[in-house]
Amino acid sequence: MIPKLHLQLDERSGVPVYRQMMDQFKYYVAGGILRPGDQIPSIRELASALQVNPTTVVKAYTELERAGLIEKRHGKGAFVAPNARALTDAEQEEALRRSAKQLAVEATQMQVPPPKVITVVREELGALHSDRADEPVPVKFAVVGGES
Amino acid sequence: MPTDILAHGLTKTFRTGVVAVNGFDLRVERGTVYGLIGRNGAGKTTALKILMGLLRPDRGEAKVLGRPLWEADPAHRQKVAYVSQSQQVPEWMSLGELGRYASHFYSAWRPELLQEQARRWELPLHLPISKLSGGNQRLAALAVALATRPEVLLLDEPAAGLDPVARRELNVCLVDALLRDEGCTILLSTHLLGDLERLAIHVGIMDRGRILAEGSVEDWQRTMRRVQVVFDGEAPPADFAIPGAIRSQVLGPVVTALTRVDDDAQLDGVRQLRGARVHVFPLTLEELFVDWFGGPAAAPESGEEISGQPGRSVPQPPNQRVGNGG
Repeated sequence: MIPKLHLQLDERSGVPVYRQMMDQFKYYVAGGILRPGDQIPSIRELASALQVNPTTVVKAYTELERAGLIEKRHGKGAFVAPNARALTDAEQEEALRRSAKQLAVEATQMQVPPPKVITVVREELGALHSDRADEPVPVKFAVVGGES
Repeated sequence: MPTDILAHGLTKTFRTGVVAVNGFDLRVERGTVYGLIGRNGAGKTTALKILMGLLRPDRGEAKVLGRPLWEADPAHRQKVAYVSQSQQVPEWMSLGELGRYASHFYSAWRPELLQEQARRWELPLHLPISKLSGGNQRLAALAVALATRPEVLLLDEPAAGLDPVARRELNVCLVDALLRDEGCTILLSTHLLGDLERLAIHVGIMDRGRILAEGSVEDWQRTMRRVQVVFDGEAPPADFAIPGAIRSQVLGPVVTALTRVDDDAQLDGVRQLRGARVHVFPLTLEELFVDWFGGPAAAPESGEEISGQPGRSVPQPPNQRVGNGG
């Protein structure tokens, strides 16, 4: 069975669409929602569901394959690779830093003092850990990415 | 990849004296999607009509699948489909009749494609097209165009007048056309830049009859930024410029520029300036387009000089190619 993937494309991110798709696949693997051996949507399904140029999906899948996250099985489709590693520490930090940078910019714009920013982040982290201790890592939402 | 759509030095002046297309160059490779954007009156419709062979240019060449369509034979022309901004299908016919009529002229015609599309879009097959809503008339024309299984699809603002659901359906159809075994080359003009971000491989900004700038969507998403530098004091230092700026505006001590940032380090020099704070924001295609034309406040009326605006906007050389073209 192909799991339901909810890929969210953000046109404001300044990140090319194929990269956004790749990043979210990585988060799914990191969060345990996609497991080794899981089938992922075909290029056709994903392109139609997201209304994205198929070339872009091909590019994302090719890069994911090169990174060892997925593998194509002839005539059967694409699957999460058996030894798919979630994010490397460097990738994790890079992703985190991207969001942090955005936060820092916005906080500066609003002239929020840095200690307050840190307090807010700490509180948000605390809130997540208290009420969702047993849930998997929350992932991005919207647009159903295809199922068989 | 072969070039399916080619325009070189196209120029067209109407009898009214309006120069609609002026030195228009374009190259669209097989299997890609090219989005033509530009303000109203930029010449998009005229350029598409010339490519479709409905108008003859005064100068220049326009080839689709290797030949100018105004002198191509029917066998060649039927490989190309065009849906215009204005209605062209005979309104007194029903969609079903139109399908039977078209099937005589198109060897690649697939009746089941029209049926399926009509079902998906809930278009009645037996009512005269004039009885359909404006949006549905547009969808009917598109359904016919897609059922001819064109190798090249020219679309002039296909989504104008469509509700959000129909627009999504249209996008899905275009994806379907791209996914066909034979593939499809699509050139479309549109004001809906959010859709282009997902569908187009290349985008050209058209202004006063020519391509002002052209780039790959992926490259633009990665590199085009709005850079804002805020100086302490009342004004930026004399002759200050943001490296890589394409279009700049100064408001008091704040310099804002549409900037190509290939490497964040190109802004290090600015960051080291005394009393300068640098902010870098990603842009949607829509914001990029607005910034290119001087921002909402400074948006010029059509026909007015764009590059030589008064104030402190920085003039740019015309027809720059931005990006590596993928």
